[in-house]
Amino acid sequence: MTSAALVHVVVSGLATGSIYALMAISLVIIYNATRTLNFAQGEMLMISTFVGWTALRVLSVPLVVALLVAVIAAAVLAWVLERTIIRHAISATHFDVLIITLGLSLMLRSVAGFAWTHDEFPFPSFFTNRPLVVGPVRVAPLSLGIIGASLALMLALGALFRWTRLGRAMRAVAQNQRAARLMGISVERVYSSSWILAAVVGAAAGVLIAPVVFLSSKMGLIAINGFTAAILGGFGSMPGSVVGGMLLGVLENLAPLYLPASIKHSVPFLVMITILIVRPGGVVGRVARRKV
Amino acid sequence: MITRAMLLLLLAVTLSALPAAAQPGVSDTEIVIGGSNSFSGPLAYTGEQITKFGVDLYLRVVNDAGGIHGRKIRTVYYDDGYRPQNAVANTKKLVEQDRVFAIIIPQGSPPVVATLEYLEENKVPLLFPYQSSPVTRARRYVFQGMTLSDRSSKMMIDYLAGQRKYKKFAVLYQDDEYGKSFLTAFEKDLGRFGLKLVAAESVKREVTDVSAQIAKLQAAKPEVTFLVLVPGPAAQALRERQKIGWTDTLMVSTGPLTDERYLALATDAAEGVEGLSLWPDPVISDLPGVRLYREHMQRYFPKNEPNRYSLAGYFAGMLFVEGAKRAGRNLTRESLIAALESVKGFESGILPPLTIGPDHETQKQGLWVRVEKGRFKPLTDWLKSE
Amino acid sequence: MRGAAIATGAVVVLGWPWAAPRYFVFLASLIVVNSIVAIGLNLLSGYTNQLSFGHAGFLAIGAYTAAILAIRASWLPLPATLLAAGLGTAAVGLALGVPCLRLEGLYLAMATLAFGFVVVEAILNLDWLTRGNDGLHVPPGHLGPWALATDTARYYLVVVVGALLVAAARNITRTRTGRALLAVRESEIAAQASGVHLAAYKTLAFVVSAFYTGVAGGLFALVVGFLSPDSFDVFLSVDFVAMIIVGGLGSIFGSVVGAAVITTLNDSLAGFQNYRPLIFGAILIASMLFMPGGIASALRRLPLLASQTPGSASRTPGSAPRTPGSAPRTPGSAPRTPGSAPRTPRQGDDR
Repeated sequence: MTSAALVHVVVSGLATGSIYALMAISLVIIYNATRTLNFAQGEMLMISTFVGWTALRVLSVPLVVALLVAVIAAAVLAWVLERTIIRHAISATHFDVLIITLGLSLMLRSVAGFAWTHDEFPFPSFFTNRPLVVGPVRVAPLSLGIIGASLALMLALGALFRWTRLGRAMRAVAQNQRAARLMGISVERVYSSSWILAAVVGAAAGVLIAPVVFLSSKMGLIAINGFTAAILGGFGSMPGSVVGGMLLGVLENLAPLYLPASIKHSVPFLVMITILIVRPGGVVGRVARRKV
Repeated sequence: MITRAMLLLLLAVTLSALPAAAQPGVSDTEIVIGGSNSFSGPLAYTGEQITKFGVDLYLRVVNDAGGIHGRKIRTVYYDDGYRPQNAVANTKKLVEQDRVFAIIIPQGSPPVVATLEYLEENKVPLLFPYQSSPVTRARRYVFQGMTLSDRSSKMMIDYLAGQRKYKKFAVLYQDDEYGKSFLTAFEKDLGRFGLKLVAAESVKREVTDVSAQIAKLQAAKPEVTFLVLVPGPAAQALRERQKIGWTDTLMVSTGPLTDERYLALATDAAEGVEGLSLWPDPVISDLPGVRLYREHMQRYFPKNEPNRYSLAGYFAGMLFVEGAKRAGRNLTRESLIAALESVKGFESGILPPLTIGPDHETQKQGLWVRVEKGRFKPLTDWLKSE
Repeated sequence: MRGAAIATGAVVVLGWPWAAPRYFVFLASLIVVNSIVAIGLNLLSGYTNQLSFGHAGFLAIGAYTAAILAIRASWLPLPATLLAAGLGTAAVGLALGVPCLRLEGLYLAMATLAFGFVVVEAILNLDWLTRGNDGLHVPPGHLGPWALATDTARYYLVVVVGALLVAAARNITRTRTGRALLAVRESEIAAQASGVHLAAYKTLAFVVSAFYTGVAGGLFALVVGFLSPDSFDVFLSVDFVAMIIVGGLGSIFGSVVGAAVITTLNDSLAGFQNYRPLIFGAILIASMLFMPGGIASALRRLPLLASQTPGSASRTPGSAPRTPGSAPRTPGSAPRTPGSAPRTPRQGDDR
């Protein structure tokens, strides 16, 4: 294996990893604000991407507009779901909401099948698949583009959380819901906003990854990798999600290179279990270790 | 005396008018067949195409023309989501509750193999399962559907190693029954030529990144790389190959993969790829049966585009009807089996003339194709595997 | 009233194969098997609040253990095979539970999720033992001279084992152990303060849960007759979680009801093909919206059945005395609907 090939595999892993990171971030956004896991995150992303794709095909809009359409569709879907279903379950426990989001994921996947069939479709990318040859080095614009776009999005989110009122409100609710309410923050609005924000991030991730894994009703399964990435990095923290995502992407790619076939598929999960046991806070996180 | 003769005559007439011993799924007016299939889960698209737009398409045509010997055919399908235990439950329901006459075109090795013993015990015909593992072979009540992996492999290796004299082969395969059965078959057939695989890499069906596997395969420098995958990962593999500029290998797709879906996903990365095709081109082919298939699709399901999955289902429906016709009005499971075994030189207008023997294999051929300008172009005539 | 209900129930259960067509005997066996898993899962998740998304992994271990023993050690009597399946799975449960002691909530859920994946991978790769992808045919069991060759015979086996396990579970939950487990769920700190040895009980819950699921796995192998890695994916684990949440956390009765509802629903919707996930999802959502806390707690809220619902172990007004060490209401927290799991203080709530 040449070093150029190795670099390529790692860069490719970082690209997939950035998508995992975005997925992890969107899951964490909702979890931090509402203490619920959204099982339907992947399916919401999938539907938004499909809507964008429909605009692309039917209205022949440029790709940028399709991205915008996907993002808007995501926001609308999130707002509607949160308002009509999740909100009504506010008095229920976390477990109940978990099942509700599970039901949503099943329904959304089924609806996608009716609207677009369960077939798979190619999706255009902002970046080309053909390599750029720069001397001895082969550079993959597609991978770099995904990494770049994801990083830009993560920076934007970071700025949102630090410098905007909404961001501060979300952080306050994540830290201590009661105190935030007492300080006059509308917790319900934060709930809605976090669902919408998470969906928007998901839609962006969907548009970025669809050219690679293809658009289909089962695209939402990538959310499982998002969970894994979030845990690896330290659930609850943004930097943790980023690190976890990149780490997972690279791990997934390095394992087949160096490990025998029998355990290479288990590696991400074995690493996750190990990290959970040894350092439950994840690579980055600072979780209070329970002494039992 | 006249009275006695008349009584005897009356008795004879009455006896001959009595229905034959009640055969499940066969009444005076209808035949009921069905199967457990994937309508959700990873292979939902295929499942829907082979049943609703495949078998059912052909049966609609037949029913509209009056059915078989005055009986219309009705189908019942249940979703198993590719889970073997669901397939077992569904199949029991079909046999015991819906009392189907035969099981038709269930999909996937694990769900199908899970039901084999049960169907054998209950003497229910299993017709044309949509899977390629040879494990279903040599059973009295099973008739194979697509060309099985060991036959495919033999044709492919004989052609590539025997005729075109390639020596270095590698495989990118899915980590499931489909992938493993081809891997084993390839190793065996290469052995006949004194060759071994130079590399074999596996991926999971839901893989997101194949760059590592492609890199490892490239490092082994194979002349031919087999793809034993479903369309998604296969198209990813082709695009990855394009990304790293790995041009000096011939990518070859196996039978179940060689279809337009994966071409559509791979777009220009599929140019020059070859494969063993199990069907004629459903969109372009001029064969009379394929043209009829397109006409029928246009008539009954105009929004559904012709594709190989529905063509496979359509063909399965055709074979069932042929068998039922030959069995005659006195249709029983045994007479169906005998009728199917007696099929000789059957002209479907889709595949070469079909003869089914005691081995119960309905498809034993394939044809070699290469992708040119986004479509499969035949390079050879039908290759036979015996 | 209770006695009459149980007697009627027993008659229905025992007489089922005579009244019902063959397929529904098979379905009933599946319901009982799933109930056993649900009870096991509930002991872990409903009682000690350690939510597991990996129980399909335990089921797989139990199923394959029983099947491999039946094939390679067919001289072993069936009860021994089932016991071995249970104990083997319990051992794995111990191995998993101890390191997971310091994990909670989400982290534990993810660890168990990962465990589920790793188990399936291991089954795939140990193909000299499990036949990997090809799948494993399970030989029909036999109890002494009687071959369990019919759906009815297997049904009775499953019912007998199920009844024993349900009775055992009820005993566990009614004893000090059960109250200790419940105390752990209500508030770990308070439980510890009143002398409940946290680590021991949490581990115990894991081990017992795994044992139950392992035995269920053995029964699963016999009833279905065929095992393959595809049978035990993460969605099956999620199905089990759905069973206990829909049925009611912390309730044996809820586990059985939840298992029955989800299994029957899945079965009856199979004919709807593409509509199946749509309808199933809608029903899940509706049941959580209209019956928060699950069916068991909804039934308990009906005044008529409040003191008569069997098997429930969470507090109901006027029933068993408060478990020692249970946490009083933390000031200002959202009022609890009776029977639903209260929000345990999570990491982020009061940092």
